[in-house]
Amino acid sequence: MLELAGITKHYRTRNGVVRAVEDVSFTVPPKGTMALVGESGCGKTTIAKIILQLERPISGTVRFEGADIATMSRAALHAYRRQVAAVFQDPYSSLNPRLRVHRIIAEPILAHERPGRAALDKRIAEVLDIVGLPATAATLYPHEFSGGQRQRIAIARALALQPRLMVLDEPVSALDVSIRAQVLNLLQDIQAEFGLTYLIIAHDLALVEHFSSDVAVIYLGRVAESGPTEPVFANPRHPYTQALLAAVPLPDPDHVLSETAATGEIASALNPPSGCRFHPRCPHVFAPCPATVPPAYPAGAGHHVACHLLKDSPA
Amino acid sequence: MLLQVENLRMHLHLRRGVLQAVDGINLHVAEGETLGLVGESGSGKTLTGLSLLRLLPKGSGRIESGSIRLDGQELTTLPEAELARDIRGRRIAMIMQDPMTSLNPVFSIGDQVGGPLRNHDIARGTALRSAVVDVLKRVRIPSPEDRLGDYPHQFSGGQRQRIVAAMAIGCTPRLLVADEPTTALDVTIQVQIIALLRQIQHDQGVGIILITHDLGVAASLCRRIAVMYAGQIVETGPVRAIYRSPSHPYTQALLAAIPRLHSKRTRLAAIPGQPPSLIDPPSGCRFAARCPMRMDQCAAPPPTVDLGDGHSAACWKLAN
Repeated sequence: MLELAGITKHYRTRNGVVRAVEDVSFTVPPKGTMALVGESGCGKTTIAKIILQLERPISGTVRFEGADIATMSRAALHAYRRQVAAVFQDPYSSLNPRLRVHRIIAEPILAHERPGRAALDKRIAEVLDIVGLPATAATLYPHEFSGGQRQRIAIARALALQPRLMVLDEPVSALDVSIRAQVLNLLQDIQAEFGLTYLIIAHDLALVEHFSSDVAVIYLGRVAESGPTEPVFANPRHPYTQALLAAVPLPDPDHVLSETAATGEIASALNPPSGCRFHPRCPHVFAPCPATVPPAYPAGAGHHVACHLLKDSPA
Repeated sequence: MLLQVENLRMHLHLRRGVLQAVDGINLHVAEGETLGLVGESGSGKTLTGLSLLRLLPKGSGRIESGSIRLDGQELTTLPEAELARDIRGRRIAMIMQDPMTSLNPVFSIGDQVGGPLRNHDIARGTALRSAVVDVLKRVRIPSPEDRLGDYPHQFSGGQRQRIVAAMAIGCTPRLLVADEPTTALDVTIQVQIIALLRQIQHDQGVGIILITHDLGVAASLCRRIAVMYAGQIVETGPVRAIYRSPSHPYTQALLAAIPRLHSKRTRLAAIPGQPPSLIDPPSGCRFAARCPMRMDQCAAPPPTVDLGDGHSAACWKLAN
C-alpha cells in the first residue's frame, strides 16, 4: 500500500546539519497498522511529515500503491492527498478554536469537492456519528468539548474524505488514561469497518504492541528493527529494542526494571555516532559497530534487524 | 509519622464558582517511604502536593479545612515567613515535571543548585562550592567541578532532571514531593531517574510523595498507593494490594483500561464518560455516573471501608 525506500532527510541549521532521517525503508501492508516507535528526536514525526508531503526528503522515494508521490501529476497528487489523512497528538492545537465543528470538518471536503448544503450537512452528521458524537456537536466550538471529544472531532475530520490511509501521530498521548482506551477502541472499530490502513507514531510500547500489526523501531533516524509486531516484541533481537522493552515500567509491583540495558544518553542527530548509531550505549558493542553501518539482517518472516550481532547468527 | 494529612480541603474560588479541587484528603507518609499519588489530570493530585507547601494558586486557592503535620508540626496555621524559612525547600522539597521550566536558563547550574543552600544559610563561600559539587556527584552528574559554570541548555534532558533533583535534595529535606518527575523523559532515560530516586531515598531516608498518572512508574517506585478521583482519594493501600486486588471500581477500571506489554491482545475495557466538573460536583460518589456497579445508595457520599493491612476504599459496594 505504502512503501518507503531509502528515505533520508537532513536539516541545515546554524549549528550544522541535523541528520534526522537516514536511509529509512519500510512497507505498510494494506489494512494493516504499521507503528513507528522510538524516543524523542528519533525522526518518527519527520517520516510522517514526508508521507504527508509536509516535508521533502533529500533522497529516497515514497510510493503509494506503486506510484512515486514525488513524480505524480497534479491530478494524481490531488487524489493522493484525498486518500491520506492525519490525526495529530494535541487536539487542543490541531483544531482551529475560531471555527465551529461544522466548518472544521467541512474544510477538507470543500477543498476537494462542491457538495450542496444538504449533502455536506449529511456527510458531517455521518462522520460525527461514526466517532460517537451527536449531530448537534457541529454547531459548537472546540472549547466546548473535553480532550477526548476533541480527538474524536479530529478523527471525524480525518474521515470526512473517506481516506484509505490514516497517519496517527501520537493520537492518544495527550489524553487521560481512562479516555485513551475509548479513543483506541474507536480507531480499531473504524479501521475494521472501513478497511483503513494505519500508520501510527507512538512512544508507548505497550500501546504499540496492543494496536499495531507491524512495527519499525527507530533509533536516531535509522530503523533498528522491524517486522510483524508479535515476533519483534516476543523475541526482540536488536539491543536497542531489548533496552526499550526492558525500560518500560509495568503496572506490576513485582516487575524488576533493568537499569543497565541502555546506559548513557541519546546522542545528537547533529553529530550522530559512526557505524551503528546505538553503539555508544550498547552493552554488546564490538569491533565492527563503530566502523560500519549494520545492514538489515533477516531474522524470520518479515523480521529484520540492523545489528552486527546477527551476521553470524541469523534467524 | 513524618507526614500526616487529615481531611484536607483546598478549594479554588473562581469567577464561575468554587472548584473543589482537593476535597477531604487523608494521607500519611512514614520516614523513608514512597507514597504514590495516582490519578488523571484534574483529579487534584498536583494541587494536593502544592497544598502541602501552601503553594496555592494566587487569589483563588484557599485551604478550607484540615490539617497537615510534618514531624508533628502543624503547617496549615504556620505564618508564611516561617513556612518559607523552615519548610519550603528546606524540610519539604519539590521536583517538578519539566526540567526545562524548573531551571532558569540565564543562571549557571552552580548558582541554581547553590541557591537553596544559600537561602537557608546552610553553606557559604568555599563550603558552598564543595556542597554543590557534592550534591551534583550524588545525582551522578559526571565531573561536576568542571560544570558549575555551565547553563541548563548545555545539559541533556535526563541530566537536567538530575540537576533539578540536586536542587531539591541539597538541603537534605525530610519529604520530597516529586510531581511527574519522569513524564517528560524518554523511557530509557526515565529508568535512570527512577533508579536515582530510589538511590536518594536509600541514602537519605527521605520520604517521597510521587505524583503520577503512570501506573507503571508508580508500581516501580512506591510502597503504598493512593488513587485520586475528582478531588478525593478513592482507594489507598500497600502497592501489591492495589495492583493485585483493587477494590474500588475506579481503580479496577483504570487498571483494565491500560494496554499491557506482553499480554494477550484483547479489546481494552474503556471507562465510559468523563470525570465530573468539580464546580458543583455530585453530592454522592463522584465516580457513580461512570461506574458499572452503580446502586441507589451511591447518591450519598460513600463510607471509607477498611479492608485490612492499611488497605481501604470509599465505596458503598464494600460497605454492604
